[in-house]
Amino acid sequence: MPIEITMPRLSDTMEVGTILHWHVNVGDEVSAGDLLADIETDKATMELQSFDDGRVAELVISEGNQVDVGTVIAMLAEDDEAIVEETPEKPKPSIPKVTESAHRVSPVARRLAEEYGVDLLSVQGSGPSGRIIKRDILQLIDTASETTAAAQTTKVVPAEVVPSTVPVTPVQQVLPLAPTSPWQQNRSEPLSNMRQIIASRLVESKQTIPHYQVTMTFDMDPLLEMRKTLNEQLSKSGVKLSVNDFLVRCCALSMETNPEFNASFGGDCIHYHGPVNVGIAIALPEERGGGLVVGTIRNADQKSLRTISQESAYLSNKARETGLSPEEMGDTTFTISNLGMFGVDNFTAIINPPNSAILAVGAAIEKPVVRGGELVVGNEMSATLSLDHRVIDGAMAALYLKTLKELIENPASLLV
Amino acid sequence: MVVSTSVDLLMADTDTTSTAQSNANGMTEPTHLLKQAEIPGKGVLLGWLRQMLLIREFEVRTMQAYQNRLIGGFCHIYIGQEAVAVGTIAAVNPDDPVVLAYRDHGHALARGMDPKNCMAEMFGRIGGCAKGKGGSMHMFDADHYLYGGHGIVSAQTPLGTGLAFATKYEDEVISGGKSSHVTLCYLGDGALNQGCFYEAMNLASLLDLPVIFVLENNRYSMGTAIERGTSMAHDLRLKSEAHDINHAIIDGKNVLSTYRDFKGIADWCREESRPYFVEAQTYRYKGHSMSDPRKYRTKEEENSEEANDCIATLEEFLVEEHDVTKDAFKQLTRQVKTQVRQAVEWAKKSPETPMEEMYKDVFTDCWGPYTGTSKPDMLEEGGLD
Amino acid sequence: MKVTTKERVIEFRDALREAMCEEMRNDERVFLLGEEVAQYNGAYKVSKGMLEEFGARRVIDTPISESGFSGMSIGAAMRGLRPIVEFMSWSFSLVAADPILNNAAKMLYMSGGQFGCPIVFRGNDGAGGQLASTHSWCVESLYANVPGIKMAIPYDAYDAKGLLKTAIQDDNPVFFLESERLLSTKCHVPTEEYTVPFGKALVRRSGEDCTIISFGRPLHFCLEAAEELAKEGIDCEVIDGRTIRPLDIDSMVESVKKTNACVVVDQSWSFASVGSEIASQIHAQCFDDLDNHVHRVHSDDVPTPYAYNLEQAYLPNTRKVCEAVRQATYNS
Repeated sequence: MPIEITMPRLSDTMEVGTILHWHVNVGDEVSAGDLLADIETDKATMELQSFDDGRVAELVISEGNQVDVGTVIAMLAEDDEAIVEETPEKPKPSIPKVTESAHRVSPVARRLAEEYGVDLLSVQGSGPSGRIIKRDILQLIDTASETTAAAQTTKVVPAEVVPSTVPVTPVQQVLPLAPTSPWQQNRSEPLSNMRQIIASRLVESKQTIPHYQVTMTFDMDPLLEMRKTLNEQLSKSGVKLSVNDFLVRCCALSMETNPEFNASFGGDCIHYHGPVNVGIAIALPEERGGGLVVGTIRNADQKSLRTISQESAYLSNKARETGLSPEEMGDTTFTISNLGMFGVDNFTAIINPPNSAILAVGAAIEKPVVRGGELVVGNEMSATLSLDHRVIDGAMAALYLKTLKELIENPASLLV
Repeated sequence: MVVSTSVDLLMADTDTTSTAQSNANGMTEPTHLLKQAEIPGKGVLLGWLRQMLLIREFEVRTMQAYQNRLIGGFCHIYIGQEAVAVGTIAAVNPDDPVVLAYRDHGHALARGMDPKNCMAEMFGRIGGCAKGKGGSMHMFDADHYLYGGHGIVSAQTPLGTGLAFATKYEDEVISGGKSSHVTLCYLGDGALNQGCFYEAMNLASLLDLPVIFVLENNRYSMGTAIERGTSMAHDLRLKSEAHDINHAIIDGKNVLSTYRDFKGIADWCREESRPYFVEAQTYRYKGHSMSDPRKYRTKEEENSEEANDCIATLEEFLVEEHDVTKDAFKQLTRQVKTQVRQAVEWAKKSPETPMEEMYKDVFTDCWGPYTGTSKPDMLEEGGLD
Repeated sequence: MKVTTKERVIEFRDALREAMCEEMRNDERVFLLGEEVAQYNGAYKVSKGMLEEFGARRVIDTPISESGFSGMSIGAAMRGLRPIVEFMSWSFSLVAADPILNNAAKMLYMSGGQFGCPIVFRGNDGAGGQLASTHSWCVESLYANVPGIKMAIPYDAYDAKGLLKTAIQDDNPVFFLESERLLSTKCHVPTEEYTVPFGKALVRRSGEDCTIISFGRPLHFCLEAAEELAKEGIDCEVIDGRTIRPLDIDSMVESVKKTNACVVVDQSWSFASVGSEIASQIHAQCFDDLDNHVHRVHSDDVPTPYAYNLEQAYLPNTRKVCEAVRQATYNS
């Protein structure tokens, strides 16, 4: 069995080494102590000598290449030696942080307040910056016990040690302290699985993707007019097109003409996707734990408004009722998040990786607009693109919005 | 092949007017010759050869284990200098204290440490001589009166002085007899430039301590040639004479002359209860540590030094004087290869030092993970209150 | 074991000598070594007369060579002897940092338990009075950082003797920090042999309102401050920690749980100090018992000045302790 020659660790800090030169060729006989190669370490150029006798069976790593310490770089015929393995490091779990209340109370004052049922909100602190200190609580207890002392028949002693100078008082008798209802109290609840995923994915997105935003306002009158007509005509077949359905098609067609919107950042390259899969953000009801999912309308550029509408309705209902299957929510290349139905004017969204863009859509709002030099009443909608600057530059974003605007404001083209 | 006689031993008179003087060759001229020890017989010499072969094979496998990442940290190889450790340690008693610098595997083996424990120490395993808490530079072995390798350059020189102080105190003050031990304190030429070495020599001389400072002059402190780091490098005698300590140069590449000359010195120190400064001239074949590319010296110099190898020299002597055959050498080589392979295997199998060991030996009493206070059972009962 | 004999008042330096002499009589492995300890009778007369009693083999004058004689003594301790090494001042121990921190503190550990280091390093620590910065070191914070050593700081003659005897009997290296300013102070020290254990703090004054924790000489200011503050109605408890390693944090915590306020007085500099360590531990263990954060009094964060007025302003004093206690108890 041939013996493996591994990249040696030639200094205490060496992690990788480069083979500068092989002094032997395949087939050469070598004996222990013979020079095999020159290796460049983090500190110096070192000589690699053979520890054993044998014949060079293979030079696995060629000159000029850098490999990790421990990597097999050559094989010698005969003999065998064990190689140590490294244990991979475990990823560290991220720990969610708990926010603190801004109220200043010394720790012992807080403890005494708890013991005596004192509502800290009702206490005026006498310490620096209004800090409630031990003396404040003790004074309050003193006063309270004086006012109630006459009515007292029994006294309850708190379990904890109380300074002997303080008259002890049962918790329920202390004035002027009102009980706090549960909803007023601060509380923490563990994250659901969905919240954990949202937290980790969106933090990663926001922290690693260089976001920027571009906003445009659209004249919605033609589209709303057309939607009204179509819905009247199709009502018999049970079809009801939403503004969002139009937008899905508009966005998909715009992606066809602007292929960088159908692309992802790949570290050392940009991946351009074939199919145009538009994601739609779907908010989940509180009963189902809240949160949101992104449903996928595949090949949206090739689907009619009617098909898009049907798929969209199906995805929304399924998401809210039973949840989506992985096939129904993966592989998006662009996402639309629409809060228009809640009356939101405009907002910005966080990119849904590996997408390069997300469109945040506000409501179509009736407002005074200028059309052909005349002030008239019209419907306008604001939409904001969030973009990954590593893939899409500002001018490209503007071009995309221009394409989108042409489609939205001339919706007849959506029918062909 | 006969024993080198190029270096004569001298015993410098304590009267400075008659101390030895350098001649033109930098050699010392004898005033009083110390008694030269007799070269032992074949059996002992074969034992020395086996020790030197063992050290060399051990160091080769140490380098390999280091490169295979079984050994961490800093690691210093003794190859080339074997004759010094073997020849000097053979010249003292097994209960004479020995204290070392950080290039210490060879001495530990020559002193009798089992190669298994030595290798396991470097592997950081519980089977190591210090349970894996010291590593390559810190070989301790109480059973063999080995008071450690020490990683800080020259830190061992005051310690060696203290060991000699202790044996003298034990022999004279406690036992009421005559001082009967001698301490071997090894140092490299790099330690010549540390202040504490001169403090150690000064105290050893003032207090008449039986300690031998064995300078292993391999001509380089890390990558710095001795001439570049040490003034008066051509005549180190002055370093000790300034402290009224005798000096001798011995051939550290020939175990026969190392022993012959060193034995006389060791006996004199033991008898007189005085320190000595011995310069063993030698050469390390490998770098200072594992990460040293040795660009500060030429291949020619290395080759010429390796041509005069201590193991080959002893083998030649055994062939010529004792008719030992090459086959016998091969057999010895095979034996030590097997022994070292077993040591490596044993060390690999030795369990990792368990976590609880982390908290042991901080104090002689138990000591847990730091909590800011001592463990209750460390505290004595009673007291003032 | 409360020792009860009739009053015998002696000086701090005499108490130290008694401890060494008793231990040297009891154990011939014990010897004393240092600059001017023998013929000169000790720079501060601590070892006066010891050469006469024990002879030059056990009371040994060394040259001014801290690195050399510290290392030598550690070598001797590795063989099982029990050296007492006198530093004329702990300030001079800095040139011996390698042997005392690298060798004494770690020998047992690095040798896997084979070679211990039963040694005592002792001498004056802290400002002596207009000695300027190089000679006024408070090494406690610097050295307490190192695992493997024990550290004791006596405040009076009784503790000086009892703690030093414990130190000499201890099988581990002990840094024993005396104060030049305390050497002439006197108190009752019984004739009978006794020891004071390590890791057991002493309540030098009981009180309800604020715990003051200190070691060695600054305790004098703490006790003065406590009297001063009592007039203002602030009742202080003064704790003498006695040893820094091991640290009797339990006694300190117990006191703070009672008073809800704490001031630590430490004569070394504040940054990464014994004071900051104790404050941190009090915060951790008394978190819900504190009415204010732990306040600290240290020497100012500058090299020790020579000028009398500056040095006085630089060191901890009674006024600074009072001020810290008032702040910690919201009485300022």
